[in-house]
Amino acid sequence: MGILPKHVSRLRSWLLTPGTSYVPWILLGPNFILIVLFMLGPLLLLGRISFEGYQAGHGIIETWQAANYSKFLFDPFYRQVLLGTLVLGAEVTALCLLLGFPLAYALSRARGLKRAVLYFCILMPLLTSTVVRTFGWMILLANNGFINRILVSLHLTHRPLRLMYNVTGVIIALGEVLLPFMVLALDAALLNINPSLYEAARNLGARGPRIFFRITLPLSLPGIVSGCVLVFTGALSAFVTPTLIAGARMKVMSTIIYQQAMALLDWPFGAAIAFVMLTTILILLVSSLQVTDRWRSA
Amino acid sequence: MKVALRLVNVAILCYLIAPIVVVVATAFGSRAYPVFPPHELTLVWFLKFWATPELREALRLSATLSATSTALATIIGTFSALALVRYRVRGKAVFSVVLLSPILFPAIVLALALLVAFQRVGLTQTFRGLVAAHTLLITPFVVRLAMASLAEFDPSLEEAAQNLGAGWWRTFSRITLPLILPGVLAGALFAFIMSFDELVVTLLLAGPELQTLPIRIFNYVQYSSDSTISAISTCLIAVWLIIGIPVYARFLSVRHSGRG
Repeated sequence: MGILPKHVSRLRSWLLTPGTSYVPWILLGPNFILIVLFMLGPLLLLGRISFEGYQAGHGIIETWQAANYSKFLFDPFYRQVLLGTLVLGAEVTALCLLLGFPLAYALSRARGLKRAVLYFCILMPLLTSTVVRTFGWMILLANNGFINRILVSLHLTHRPLRLMYNVTGVIIALGEVLLPFMVLALDAALLNINPSLYEAARNLGARGPRIFFRITLPLSLPGIVSGCVLVFTGALSAFVTPTLIAGARMKVMSTIIYQQAMALLDWPFGAAIAFVMLTTILILLVSSLQVTDRWRSA
Repeated sequence: MKVALRLVNVAILCYLIAPIVVVVATAFGSRAYPVFPPHELTLVWFLKFWATPELREALRLSATLSATSTALATIIGTFSALALVRYRVRGKAVFSVVLLSPILFPAIVLALALLVAFQRVGLTQTFRGLVAAHTLLITPFVVRLAMASLAEFDPSLEEAAQNLGAGWWRTFSRITLPLILPGVLAGALFAFIMSFDELVVTLLLAGPELQTLPIRIFNYVQYSSDSTISAISTCLIAVWLIIGIPVYARFLSVRHSGRG
């Protein structure tokens, strides 16, 4: 059954409500083609492939099965990877929130040159590629690296701490990579707080901690939520930092996807892991939106 | 209390810029492998970077790829922004999200999707395939900055031009484009940086013949530690700082959410 003229005319009357023209659709055309051909199409194909089978030596087998998903979710090794990635995301998010809040607070309070300098220090890392920054961490975290030499010379430790090729190093480096996103999200929220609220609280006799817990913290909640979502998503999908810092010692979701795609060529399994990652992020986004909605209506 | 907070913040700032300081410092160190802090200063690693053919080739490839993708993204993105800001379009909110969506997906997921799709049409390990992928990834930045510029100026200027008899193209080229040019240029520069630094998608699609600079750095760093990499990184940091800071300031003034 082809497309009937009726459908065409209905589509045309939907696109061109009175007073509008063809021009915007022509302008949007190239971008739609780009997105459909190189994003939506490939993602649909990836979704289809995630239900296909794979046999070493034979390659991809065309079937419909959910074996790839059940393998990733129920096999002990892969379940450990999933849990490990989620825990890593939570740890990095906690670290960023802990370090981001004081910095964002100072940034939101600073004016003029001080704010410009602070801003520069927070933006400079964002403009530097993740590969370069992770390379810097590899130099710092090595067994005979700067951090270990300082620790040994201060007699805080006898032997160098193992910071490379384990999860500690990944948390330290990934926290640094994602910290600017947290600071910028928190800064935006803190700047939105009306300064007269602080004055009112002070006039009513409230002191530092009380002002912080009754005004600053609750009113910056939307920024905390969006910063945490940004950082958690970034940690969940991080590839460069875990690969370079942890090497083969620690597998996260994205390094497993890479391995399936490039070394083992089991694309159906890689596709299934990719969709588990997307679903996790989607659940996270939806629940965070609900948190902020509830906060707004409360 | 105030002093304590200030000390804490100085420590956090040190943490934030530590890796950059280390990379720049080791680029001038005299050892063949990066040691921080460096003992003697030298420029030999910068000369070695320039004297290594495969690194120079990688730099050339990266520059060509990013320039081509940026040119395409700038045209496509500016037209989209124009359509979304200046015209009444059905489902405008949905289309805005769709057009900005490539930066929301994890790079590794898009990379695998493109690998699977490109394999079927023979676009893997081709320059054209990389241009398509990079254009997809960087167009949202142009759209966002061009939309912000368009929203800033008064549409009555365009209406006046059209009332005086100027056609669509004449209005666009004489009025609209000159006024939004700063925003479009900022978007293009930002898109160029993003394309030049892109690693994950390129890594899956490139193959052995198309090794961009980020891929070379990534491979070097993965298997060996070399002061030449510090020198390359220092060059990139310097260039990005010079062209990037004004662009980023503009980007931030219009952005509502970032990207992980």
